[in-house]
Amino acid sequence: MLECREITKNYGRKTAVDHVSLKIEPGRIYAMLGPNGSGKTTLMKMAVGLVKPNAGAFYYKGQPIGIESRKEIAYMSTEPYFYAWMTAKDIGKYYEDFFEDFSMKRYRDLLARMELTEDLKAKSLSSGMMAKLKIAVTMARDAKIYLLDEPLNGIDLLARDQIISSVLEAVSSDVALVISSHLVDELEKIVDTAIFMKNSHLVEVCGAEEVRIQQGKSIVDKYREIYGHGGEELC
Amino acid sequence: MLKLMKYELRKTMFSKLVLLCITGVAEIAYLVGVFLKTDKGDQILAFGAIGLMMCMMIGIFYIGIDSLISFHRDLNTKQSYMLFLTPKNSYQVLGAKILENGLSIFLAGVFFAVLIAVDASIGILYIGGVKEFLDLLNQLMISIQININLTPQQILMPFFAVLAGWLMTVVSGDLAIVLSATVFAGKKFSGLVSFLIFLLIDYIASKVLNAVPVVRDLMVQYVMIIGACFIMVIVMYFVTGWIMERKLSV
Repeated sequence: MLECREITKNYGRKTAVDHVSLKIEPGRIYAMLGPNGSGKTTLMKMAVGLVKPNAGAFYYKGQPIGIESRKEIAYMSTEPYFYAWMTAKDIGKYYEDFFEDFSMKRYRDLLARMELTEDLKAKSLSSGMMAKLKIAVTMARDAKIYLLDEPLNGIDLLARDQIISSVLEAVSSDVALVISSHLVDELEKIVDTAIFMKNSHLVEVCGAEEVRIQQGKSIVDKYREIYGHGGEELC
Repeated sequence: MLKLMKYELRKTMFSKLVLLCITGVAEIAYLVGVFLKTDKGDQILAFGAIGLMMCMMIGIFYIGIDSLISFHRDLNTKQSYMLFLTPKNSYQVLGAKILENGLSIFLAGVFFAVLIAVDASIGILYIGGVKEFLDLLNQLMISIQININLTPQQILMPFFAVLAGWLMTVVSGDLAIVLSATVFAGKKFSGLVSFLIFLLIDYIASKVLNAVPVVRDLMVQYVMIIGACFIMVIVMYFVTGWIMERKLSV
């Protein structure tokens, strides 16, 4: 469905993503895990064409990513990115104007569930409210792939539950979800595949169930193994 | 493309409304001056007329600058995602910007030309005839050391040539901004280098305009200059779009 082959991105002398190859398949929920600077965000941004790779490429349904892939891939950035003059209503209208798969009804439902109103100005939102708004506008799309970069960052426990339940509603056999987060234990409950990134490399892609059955470990244990003491050897 | 243009217009709407408000104040001053028919009225008329001229010149200049500021923000802040996550390519994004800006500059030009024509007609009607109005206008122009003995056509054609030239300068600014955000991104003095490149592009563009053959008919001459400006705009549009499509990371 979505695939990258030997993709590399350098920022000056620093390599953010180094020869990563990865396949995202439909019907699965992926957790993209790794500490800050491991390359998760850059990899997601390359998947939607916001960042151009120095080598390698991303492909969607066998074709290089571009206009067509952006119609079916919904990306939620960790940073706020709406125009300052926009209200929640303007943001919905903007998405409705540009994305055929956007549902204004679902957007309004999600806003109501997140306890947000349409007259809220983007520039006056707290970080928690902004995170909810980003989730609402992203999940109101009927996309084939959702890439959510740190959707739970800075969110209190109750709001996290709201966000996770909204995200899980999108799950179906032809949809893939990729969620990056530091909150491994939160994601453990919902994901079926974990992607471990470290120092700009892809360390391992493993099924949560497979790790549990074959290795007798949880994703949290695996995370500790990779990033904790001795984890350097895996990279 | 139209939807992109709609949002481009929305982004620069505030500064255009400010320009419209200031123009409104100058227009009211001019009309009050026309209707008062006293010495004090003449002073207010002069204030209004100069205000309108300033609004026209600075306003049209600022519409271009505002577009460059907006483009710079669109490439160098996170709000760039609003544009580059949409299913539109770089040529469409840039094209919408240039078209919206070109139309804004042109419509502002037409707006001020019509406003001046209407104001002149009102002046002629209420001040007591063409001669009296022109005498008054001439006095005003002499007082600010401008002498005009031109027909409307002779004023309008250079005026629209200046608008086309300004659009060309703005598009060369767009190219410099894209170079700064791509080829020179993360390098030392990228802003300075891009500015120097902008000056170089503008110098080359002025050389191209100077190369337009001289013909006897002044109107044809201006049409050729405007055409040359548009060709330069199109060439720079494709070069800028090509760089964005291949190199731009936001």
